[in-house]
Parts: sequence; C-alpha cells; structure tokens
Amino acid sequence: MKLNVRLPHLSIIMSRLIVAILLSWTVLGVHDAKALPSFARQTGQQCAACHNGFPELTPYGRLFKLNGYTFAGGQTDLPPLAMMVIPSYTHTQAGQTGGAAPGFGANNNFALDAVSLFYGGRITPNIGAFVQATYDGIGKRLSWDNTDIRYANTTTAFGDELVYGLSLNNNPSVTDVWNSTPAWGYPFQSSGLAPSPGASTLIEGGLAAEVVGSNVYGFWDRLIYAEAGVYKTISPRTQTTLGVDPTGSSSIKDLAPYWRVAVEPKWGRSSWEAGFFGLAATLNPGRVTGFGTDHAVDVGIDTQYQFLADAHSISFQGSFITENQTLTASQALGNSSNSHNHLRSLHAKATYYYDQTYGATLGYFRVDGSGDVNLYNAGSANSSPNSAGIIAELDYIPFNHGGPAFWPWMNVKFGLQYVAYQEFDGGTTNYDGAGHNAADNNTLYLFAWFAF
Amino acid sequence: MGDGNVNRFGSMQRLASVAAVFGGLLAISACTTTDKQQDAVEGTVHMCSSCHGMDGRSVSPTFPRLAGQQKDYLIVQLKAFRDHTRADPHAHTYMWGMAGGLSDPTIEGVAAYYSALTPVPGKAGDPTDVAAGKKIYEEGIPETGVPACGGCHGDAAQGGGAFPRLAGQHRSYIEGQLAAFSSNSRANEIMHENAKNLTPDAERQLAAFLATQ
Repeated sequence: MKLNVRLPHLSIIMSRLIVAILLSWTVLGVHDAKALPSFARQTGQQCAACHNGFPELTPYGRLFKLNGYTFAGGQTDLPPLAMMVIPSYTHTQAGQTGGAAPGFGANNNFALDAVSLFYGGRITPNIGAFVQATYDGIGKRLSWDNTDIRYANTTTAFGDELVYGLSLNNNPSVTDVWNSTPAWGYPFQSSGLAPSPGASTLIEGGLAAEVVGSNVYGFWDRLIYAEAGVYKTISPRTQTTLGVDPTGSSSIKDLAPYWRVAVEPKWGRSSWEAGFFGLAATLNPGRVTGFGTDHAVDVGIDTQYQFLADAHSISFQGSFITENQTLTASQALGNSSNSHNHLRSLHAKATYYYDQTYGATLGYFRVDGSGDVNLYNAGSANSSPNSAGIIAELDYIPFNHGGPAFWPWMNVKFGLQYVAYQEFDGGTTNYDGAGHNAADNNTLYLFAWFAF
Repeated sequence: MGDGNVNRFGSMQRLASVAAVFGGLLAISACTTTDKQQDAVEGTVHMCSSCHGMDGRSVSPTFPRLAGQQKDYLIVQLKAFRDHTRADPHAHTYMWGMAGGLSDPTIEGVAAYYSALTPVPGKAGDPTDVAAGKKIYEEGIPETGVPACGGCHGDAAQGGGAFPRLAGQHRSYIEGQLAAFSSNSRANEIMHENAKNLTPDAERQLAAFLATQ
C-alpha cells in the first residue's frame, strides 16, 4: 500500500521528523516492478512460468529467485536489461484542492507513474541480480529502486537439499519470495496521485532505498525457509547521489536486524506458506542526535495459499504486523506526545486468474494503533492512525503466454482498481477537521503496466 | 539559475551512477562460461527439479514424474522441446526455454540420470475406474478402434525405448496428455490415432489405472 498524505499538508508532515519515519512508501517504493522480460529471455520461458498473473511468484518463480536469478535456457545474446513503463489515470471521489501533486489538476489526472530500467539476470553461474532504476513521473525524480544482488548455491543438509545464499539489497523484505510480506505485497501497483493513509509500520517501506542490507538465507528440502540480515542507513550524500531525497529521513543507529522464517508444504497443485518476519531498529529521527533514540520492533505473521492449474488459479495472501514504538527521541523533540505507541497493520487479498490472462482481486487493509496528538495531528483531527478499506481490481494480461512476434518477451497488464475507504486517518467524516470525509479519497485507478 | 545547474549536475551524477552500475554488471556477465559437461548435467537437473521435484518425484500434476522414465523417451522429448517440434501449451510455457540451450550430451546425461531413479510407486484409486482402465489398457476398445496400450507401453506400463513409462504417473497429467493427443495440441501421429476415440470417461479410467501401477 502506498501511503501518502494530502498535499496541502505535505510540508507540515515532512517537517515532523517522526512522521517521516512512519510514512511508509516513498516514491521509490511505489512503482514496484517485478515481472522481468530479461528473466524470460534468460530462461526462454513465458512470464506465466514464474508468475501467477505477475508479479505474484509461482513455486518455480520462488526457486528461480532463491537460486540467485541464475537459471538459464533461453537462446538470446541480448543483455539482461529490461524496461517498464506505467501510464495511468486517477479519479478520486472528491478533488484535491491545489492539485493532486505539483503540475497536476485537482482530479481526473493522467500520469506517467514510472519508467524503470532493470538489470535482471545471471552474472555468473552462482550470482545474479535484480537492479532497478526508476524515473518517477509524478515526483519527477530518477532514483535507484528495488535492488537484490545474490549469490546462491546448493548443498545437502540432514540428507536433503539446501538452497542457500547471500543477498545485498536495499529494503527489508525485498528478498522475500512469498507475496505476503511488505516489499512484494498487494497492491502491486497503486496511484501516486490519490490520498492515502498517513500511518504504516516501519517495515512497510519505511526504509526502502534508504538502507543497504546483507542477508543470508536457506531453503531446506523446499519446505523450511530461514533468513537473517542486518540493515544500515546510507549517508545523505549517497542517498542524494542515488536519487533519494534525504530530507527528513531518519537513520538507523548501528545495525537493524531483520529475520524471516517460513514453512511451505505442497500437495497436488496447491502450496501453502505460513511464516514470521520482523525488524528491530534503533533510530535517530531526522538524523538528529543528542535527544536519545527511538526504537521500533515490527513482528509480522503471514500466510499464502496458491492453487495453480492450467485454466484456473487461486491465491490468497495475508499478513498482520504489530509494531511497538519507543519514542524517547521523538518525544524529546516534540514530535510525539507519548513515549510509547503501538501500530498494527493487516493486509489480506484473494485473487482468481483464468488462463493466466483474466484476473480479479479483492483485498482488505487496516492499520490501527494508539493515538498521539503530536504524531498524527497533521492529517487526523482526532490524532489517530486508524485507516481501513477495501481494494477491488480487475486485470487483463494479454501476453502472459508470450508477447507479440516482433518482441515475444513483452508483457503488459491492464488494470482497473478501486479503493474504498471505510476509515481514513482516524475518521469517517471530517477526519482531518477540514471537512474531508474518508469516502472522498475513494479512488478509481486505471493503469497499463508495460514490461519489455 | 544556480539551483537549476545544481539539479542538472545532480541528475548527471545519478545518470552516471546508473550507467556505471549497469555497465559493470554487463561486463562481468559477459566474462563467464560454464564448460564442464558434468556441471552442465547437474545444473540442468537442479533446474528440472524446480518443477519435476527432487529425484524426479514431482508434487504438482502440472509436471510429470520423471523418476524411472525411459531414457530414450526423455531424449526424444527433450530434443523435441529444444527443436520446438513438441508444441503443446506446457511446452511453450516451460519446456522450450528449459531445453532450448541443452546440448546433445547434456540431454543424454539428464535422461540417463532420471531413467536410473527409482519410480514413484502407484497410489490406490477409485476401484471402478481402475478396473475399467485396466481393461482398456490391456484389451483396448475394439468397437471404437482403440488399441491395447500395453502393446507398446508394456504389461506393467513400464514403457520401453521411445515409449514412455506410464506407471505411477499423475492421474491428471495422463488425462491431460490423452486430451492433448486427441486434440492434436500435442502432435503425435500414432497417439492421435490411439486417443482420438477415447471418451473423457475412458481417459479418466485409464489415468486412474496407470496412477495405481
């Protein structure tokens, strides 16, 4: 979920350092692009081999990633580069005074959401990479995006196969292979021009592209998965060089550990995953020192079920994250009223695809937690982080079984998405004290997601 | 004006950074090759196992079990995938790519590996279907011109040479292949003739019988 705030409040929000931590999806995290034609060229396989309606991964897609993006087979000498372009149209139930973003109207906006260049593929027989650079057509900024460079190998442990590896990456959970954790969770694409809730947990994109991490992982007997890593904030200068706006961003004090455990039994055409993941970070809000530190511990549980048959496929993903915040520094800085807060985030969605071409998805999301006058007063009249809503989406992927003859690795997803808010930033009516209702932010979003 | 210059300079820096990263990755990838035959076979088998399961014992019936499959059959099929002469939907989605880069020695090595594995034992099925399927397998359906399967695939459905082992195969995989032969989406002259007069019930019964073997 991309979380923004109404633009009229943007400067206020950004001035509050702790909110900058809690605002989850930066413009970098929004345009997650995951189905890579360069992988299709490398393997010689159709997108549908790795993706259930892309970008959701199939069991084979998960193994492709865990094996370091190194599987080969395709007969092409083209370099492992790919492009993504996402034009869109956004309509909200009520227009946004002053424009949805600089250079855009109050409502009914066409936008070029993202143009991305990828290096996606094998570097050596045991090393591969997914490296993305994105031009954000709304924020007008070129920056680095999802990055996951891997070494992977296979051995035997306790009599069974162990796929193991090391990843260098830039976002906690970007390494994950189930679409029930934040980095690759639903919605896979959402409007950058619609208001979205102001609160989310740290692991839901709050550190995306602002950190580098090193993770080790193992997948034993294709049943049990374990991963551990540490993340460190990159310097403001490096962030700037990489296109990330460091304004207001917080820094991790020392290293932030990330952990992930999952089990995935399979039977027939079904696979079911259940697991835990989490992150613990000690932070200097806004990189300010001398006021102590904040501390956030995110603990998530997640599950995924997939039934993949030739004509029909069904999948379900769900996650529930609990975040406990100790806000010593933020309280001292006047950015939070409480010394301790908690936040909970629930996401669930179910998807049906026919022939990997026609898809329908229904999702639910909810974030709630303790109220805090200083922390949430910018967008919430009652200083509450609570938001909830439903997402319905129809998708059409005409080239999932192979693109046009002139470029068979091309794919495109046409999506029609509707987001309906039951609650927004703590209220249903006049939630911000400025007369806005939650339903005003209901969003119709049409997009075309080209990958080639 | 000054800000504009700074922004342009910053953009150039970012473009240079992006170019350096992508250029470096491309340069490294261009320098590596794998030329050991054994490594090629092991690497290929590892990829195959992603769908066909460890030791050729696939879990999903989308993908056939390969453990104990006939070596010659595997060689013929892999070459047909590689040459695109086998063109059923799953061949397009998965196997053209998987087999596209395989050399003849690697194909033979992979086929030898899977043919040497212990086959998956059959699982009990619906007794009525199994009995009906057994009758078709052993006697055919003379009135519609369907020959006995065992004549080519062996008394125990173990296969032989270019005729595949069918015993212990996924029930729905067998059903799917019989339908593909019947519709000619998997082109095979002999099997098309044999399968074109099978009813869906007969396909189900045959598959049920073979899955028990």
